[in-house]
Amino acid sequence: MTTPAIRATGLHKTFRATDGTEVVAVDHVDLTVQPGEIVAFLGPNGAGKTTTVDMLLGLTSPTSGTVEVFGVHPHHAVVEGRVSSVLQTGGLLPDFTVRETVRAIAALHGRSDRTDVVLERANLGPIADRLVQACSGGEQQRLKFALALVPDPDLVILDEPTTGMDVGARQDFWDAMRADAAQGRTIVFATHYLAEADAFAERTVLMAGGRIVADGTTADVRASYGARSINLRPPTDVVGPHGVDEAWLARLRAAVAPLGITDLEVSSASLEAAFLALTGATPSTDEAEEALR
Amino acid sequence: MTDVLTTPSTEAPTAVRTRAARPQVLAYARLDLRRQLRDRVGMFFIVALPAFLFFVFGMGDDEAIGSANVAMYVMVSMAAYGAVTATTSVAGAAATEQTMGWGRQIALTPLRPLAFVGVKTAVAMVVAAVPIALIYAIGAATGSRGNAVDWLASAAIAWAGSALFAIYGLAVCLLFKGPNAAGIASGLIVILSFLGNVFTPMSGLILTIGKLTPLYGYAGLARYPLSEGYLPMDAGHDPVWLMLANVVAWTVIFAGLAVWGLRRGRERV
Repeated sequence: MTTPAIRATGLHKTFRATDGTEVVAVDHVDLTVQPGEIVAFLGPNGAGKTTTVDMLLGLTSPTSGTVEVFGVHPHHAVVEGRVSSVLQTGGLLPDFTVRETVRAIAALHGRSDRTDVVLERANLGPIADRLVQACSGGEQQRLKFALALVPDPDLVILDEPTTGMDVGARQDFWDAMRADAAQGRTIVFATHYLAEADAFAERTVLMAGGRIVADGTTADVRASYGARSINLRPPTDVVGPHGVDEAWLARLRAAVAPLGITDLEVSSASLEAAFLALTGATPSTDEAEEALR
Repeated sequence: MTDVLTTPSTEAPTAVRTRAARPQVLAYARLDLRRQLRDRVGMFFIVALPAFLFFVFGMGDDEAIGSANVAMYVMVSMAAYGAVTATTSVAGAAATEQTMGWGRQIALTPLRPLAFVGVKTAVAMVVAAVPIALIYAIGAATGSRGNAVDWLASAAIAWAGSALFAIYGLAVCLLFKGPNAAGIASGLIVILSFLGNVFTPMSGLILTIGKLTPLYGYAGLARYPLSEGYLPMDAGHDPVWLMLANVVAWTVIFAGLAVWGLRRGRERV
């Protein structure tokens, strides 16, 4: 039997808030990830994703419970270069260049030989001599990704890795990750974009309020998260600048009520869908972006 | 489109690898040092400002003081001020790096926290040597006069003693978090330098109060080889123990504040 990439048992973490009350960030989480899996940590902000990631990396100690990465304490896995991460809250030094940043972290890993490889891998070659402070949010995110590749890890943990990337860069990023995963790297990523989990992960762990509320194939989790919805486009003459005509909506409600439809929600087209339609890129899923609430 | 990330993967995680490569601490320190020396604004306050103050306050003044001349006395003071600004800003920046997130990147490497402190101390001490070397060179060229012991001992004391202000910079930046903390720490050094009798000789009540401030003991010790504790303008004499007591007391205070700031920062994680 192979050693799991991640084995967490009864993982629990509480913080003391400024007013003295105890806040439960992660509530008795059990999780096992096998080598080679691609797992999405899906959940809204405040679901406990980042705290869980911190414990998986040994940056924070659990209040109770245990966590092992490749059978050892997370910190040892970090020291051995078996796990690395793109941190949501990790900072870069603004007055290093892109190349110096990679060289600095590569030196600390004792892997200076990796500098050029990861620069190329994250396609940072053209901007290698640019100061970090002159890089866009998406470029900085790619630099963090390059840093995560320095130790050539077996497990990469990505915390909201596409923050700051535009839609096209986000898709390129996931294409690159997919290629990586095909080579056998284990990938765990936290996201609040259902579409990212949907497009990329084989398995989705849905977190809410510090607990795992669903864990299974992404298709199953999507089904349990909510039934499919049907979009329809009203005739243009009932749509004004202030929305859809109320009288027409009332008639629609009355018309569909006999079919057992109880919830009728009016929403505007998602920005991402509109963006992709306008820029000619193809959305990776039918619902381009569906942030969880 | 420039944001392309689709370089084909040519590397696969290998099952068996030689693990536990050792951190190349020197390579990191070299990069960090270069980054520091490249910071024009920072280096202005560390090197150019004290050199300018030396020019204003007594460059070439040949009036005798102790075993040297006034030019030398002012030169040591200004070199000490530059060195202190250097250690304060490097240590302060180190603390800010930690609280602003770079520390989390470092935490994901095999580097031990103590080794990180060692790297930063080494960088701070190298940067501190820059204003001392430069201002002593200017002094030598413009008529600062003293015997060999004056030159060597004062430089050594100014350099070694500036380490105290690395602790100071650390403490201030751990207590006042945020990107402005290092600026606050360096700014306070200017005020403390006036009070510490570093810029212009003081007398009366301000001098009495000044003797209790953190730069007084350090600057006095750096000048001791030439002044033997006598203050300019017949303002009196300081015994060595007073200046040593000043340095020891402030070391304890700054270290205590730094530890307190560190603990406070951790609780808020």
